[in-house]
Amino acid sequence: MSMIKTENIHKYFGENHVLNGVDLEIAKSEVVCVVGPSGSGKSTLLRCLNRLERITSGKIYIEGKLIEHRESDKNILKIDPKEVAKMCSELGMVFQRFNLFPHKTALENVTIAQETVKKTSKEIAEKIGLDLLEKVGMAEKANEYPSRLSGGQQQRVAIARALAMEPKIMLFDEPTSALDPELVGGVLEIMKQLALDGMTMMVVTHEMGFAREVGSRLIFMDEGAIIEEGTPDEVFMNPKNDRTRDFFKSIL
Amino acid sequence: MSGQFASERWINFFTSYGNEMLQAFLRTLSISIIALVLALVLSIVFGVMSMSKNGLARAISRVYVEFFQNMPLLILVFVCYNLFPLINITLEPFAIGCIIIGLYHGAYIAEVVRSGIMSINKGQFEAAYSQGFTYLETMRYIILPQMLTIVLPPTAVQAANLVKNTSVLAMIAGHEIMYAANSYGYSTLNYGPPLVTAGILYFIICFPISTWAKKLERKRDIALEGRGGER
Ligand SMILES: Nc1ncnc2c1ncn2[C@@H]1O[C@H](COP(=O)(O)OP(=O)(O)O)[C@@H](O)[C@H]1O
Ligand SMILES: [Mg+2]
Repeated sequence: MSMIKTENIHKYFGENHVLNGVDLEIAKSEVVCVVGPSGSGKSTLLRCLNRLERITSGKIYIEGKLIEHRESDKNILKIDPKEVAKMCSELGMVFQRFNLFPHKTALENVTIAQETVKKTSKEIAEKIGLDLLEKVGMAEKANEYPSRLSGGQQQRVAIARALAMEPKIMLFDEPTSALDPELVGGVLEIMKQLALDGMTMMVVTHEMGFAREVGSRLIFMDEGAIIEEGTPDEVFMNPKNDRTRDFFKSIL
Repeated sequence: MSGQFASERWINFFTSYGNEMLQAFLRTLSISIIALVLALVLSIVFGVMSMSKNGLARAISRVYVEFFQNMPLLILVFVCYNLFPLINITLEPFAIGCIIIGLYHGAYIAEVVRSGIMSINKGQFEAAYSQGFTYLETMRYIILPQMLTIVLPPTAVQAANLVKNTSVLAMIAGHEIMYAANSYGYSTLNYGPPLVTAGILYFIICFPISTWAKKLERKRDIALEGRGGER
């Protein structure tokens, strides 16, 4: 059974056809890296998966269960909103700009959703939170506010925050591209560890080193469609499509 | 001491007029509180309207804010007091004070509310939604607390201004601190003690508010420091 499956999804922003028939399937524990030029729809694809955007048409399955089916911006599938919320909470999201809650400490950032959404008691939430901060190497900064943390530290807290909801799939949208170069490595190391632990991951990134070392599959997107996919080495060393080849030339 | 501040002048003032000053002080307080509540309600309504997708709502809010920000308070008060009766609207000075001062400061605080809404990054909603928060939970735990820290200090500054501005009601017999001080001085030609006392009374109300505003502001700036990376 696949963790994520999309069938022919399309997304329009007004006239702008941003996703143009994306078919994607991700198996358990796969690490799928997505690359492509700016504006090709990578972020939109991730955001459609966890409903930050609604697709115009197509189907989305999570763990084999159909959770979204729309045509011409209308719901075909009627589904209980609680069911949807539960499905969406199986997907954790890490943003390019971290989006930590600035009025909460690192630890509170990790506990608030547990307490609010899952109704976990404060004590247990804090215990889980500290364990997760430990895991991302941020336990010492548990009581600091995000404004006192470097970008790399903020992103590590953001990863812990996403993990706190015990997602089965993690979505990363260019998690290191807002970081100073010397901070990139630490964040990638944590992501690699997650992958080794068996997390299913979809990672938009231009870090080809990471994609080749950790990724099980590389997808190249352009103009809202998947143009080429394969193992990272295959796609990177030996791109079949001209646009893929041009793209890799441009980022090296 | 001699002249305007001779000690018998103080004694006369406090013995014959202390009670009136106290009443006036309480009246200034109640006008301020009612006007502030009105201003807060108006500012939220017009502040939210100014960010609306609806062009008409935005236009109405703009007209309101520009009108009151660019019109002297004293003129507004005089117009209500002297011209409204001619069209058969007669309002007590107390009511005029509450309404006009409320409208006037509502316009300023509406701008504060607008900047508060604008300062919240869309990413905050997304981070909350992606963690499973509902809209109401997102507002309650994530958006409003951040908005309050941003909006509260300038709102407190406006509250202190509002208290001071109630003194314009002296011109229409508002029976608040300034009016009481002035009428005592006028009838006794003893101006020193009442004016100094009036100043002290305004200070007693405004100083704690301003101090609180500064404290909130410091806390806010610490909390927001370095948030640039997140926007
Ligand atoms: N909320 C939005 N409203 C309108 N257009 C959008 C929105 N989000 C993205 N777009 C447009 O969709 C296209 C794809 O954007 P995006 O998915 O962010 O690309 P990528 O992440 O690959 O750079 C771009 O043309 C962008 O301008
Ligand atoms: Mg993007």
